Amino acid sequence: MLDASGLRKTYGPVTALDGFDLTVAPGEICGLIGHNGAGKSTFVEVVTGLTRPDAGTVTVGGLPPTRARHLVGLAPQEIALYLSVTVERNLRLFGALAGLRGGALRQAIDDTAQALGLTDVLRRPVGLLSGGQRRRAQAATAMLHRPALLLLDEPTTGADPGTRAALLRLVRAHAADGAAVLYTTHYLPELVDLGATLAVCRAGRVIKRGSQDELLAGHETLDDLYHALAADHA
Amino acid sequence: MRSLALVRLNLALLAAEPGAVISRIGMPLVMITVLRPLYRAAIGDQGTTHAVTGMLVLFSLLGLSIVGGSLLTERSWHTLDRLRATPASPWQILTGKAVTLGGVLLAQQAVVLGYGVVALGLRVARPDLLALAALAWAVTLLLLGAAAAMTVRGHSELGAVNDLGALLLSTLGGAMVPLPLLPGWAQTIAPASPGYWALQALGGAAAGDAAAVLRGCGVLLLVASAAGGYAAWRMNRGWGRSRLL
Repeated sequence: MLDASGLRKTYGPVTALDGFDLTVAPGEICGLIGHNGAGKSTFVEVVTGLTRPDAGTVTVGGLPPTRARHLVGLAPQEIALYLSVTVERNLRLFGALAGLRGGALRQAIDDTAQALGLTDVLRRPVGLLSGGQRRRAQAATAMLHRPALLLLDEPTTGADPGTRAALLRLVRAHAADGAAVLYTTHYLPELVDLGATLAVCRAGRVIKRGSQDELLAGHETLDDLYHALAADHA
Repeated sequence: MRSLALVRLNLALLAAEPGAVISRIGMPLVMITVLRPLYRAAIGDQGTTHAVTGMLVLFSLLGLSIVGGSLLTERSWHTLDRLRATPASPWQILTGKAVTLGGVLLAQQAVVLGYGVVALGLRVARPDLLALAALAWAVTLLLLGAAAAMTVRGHSELGAVNDLGALLLSTLGGAMVPLPLLPGWAQTIAPASPGYWALQALGGAAAGDAAAVLRGCGVLLLVASAAGGYAAWRMNRGWGRSRLL
């Protein structure tokens, strides 16, 4: 579903992506981990077509990113919602932009709100929600239309355990339905919970890729692996 | 349908925080009423026309804060990049904004001009040309506001640029003090202000001078094209997180 090869992107003297390769299959949850500045968010920007790479190719469902946006659901790292209007208005907007209409849109809003525990706050302005509720609302806008590729960039930052559990449950359900999921996080137990494959990113490229079992050889836990990489990085 | 969804959203955003729209529409009515006798004393029968069109130009330039604020809020809430990542085309995103904000700017002009006609006896020789002038001015304001919003770094900077810019352009253009009463140097550089051309077009429509209207609208649309081109280029560059690297 997602196929990136040889991506390069520089901003002046800074190389954000340096030969970034990654493939994520339908039904797979891929955990993209790495230090701050490793290139994770730039890669997400390239996949959504917001940033054009200097070199390399990326396709989503065989299409270039700017023509594949109907296949993608995005929950960016920062909260990106309309704060002065209701949760429902935000969901209606992003659902309609993704192509949902009428009864299908209504049903998708109800189902997603229920799955993420948002039903009681649908008519509340986003600006009045707690941090965890905003995270859930943002995730809901990404998942509403059941995209073939779900991009979740640190979706649980600042979220409480209840929010985290609800979100992970829904991500697993989407993957079980055949969606490819790219999930960036620094909170490694989530990836264990999701049963995700791993892509370890450093200095703008993927340096390790495989299942948790494969990558954990020689390391007791994901945290150990991560810290070993941090030591290499230092 | 996507444009319609965006129009609905933008209407909801305006309805959620209507203060700026209400003040920008209400304030010129007060100023026109108070200043009209002064203008009539200074320039005679043309005083009513100038009171209405001058205050309209001043407060519509101040109304750029509505356009700029709306677009800047999209940047600061990160929703502009979010919209760009959806299947909505840039054209649909801009249409959603332009229809709503352009509607506000046109409503402001309709209320002010309507007040002038109904309450103050403003005579309009060519209503059709007045509508054309109002439309050209609204388009110019819309794109000037977009250019400002795509450039500044925050709401306070936008406020400063908007207030200073509006006062400078409207004063230089002859909106506050009628052009014949401005110093010679100011009269010389007045055509550099879009406000000057808006006044020429609006005043020309009231007087039935088609050439003045068309000349004014032509210049305004050139200014609008330049501002719109810049805003589109700046928006296309984006404000993604990686821009900070």
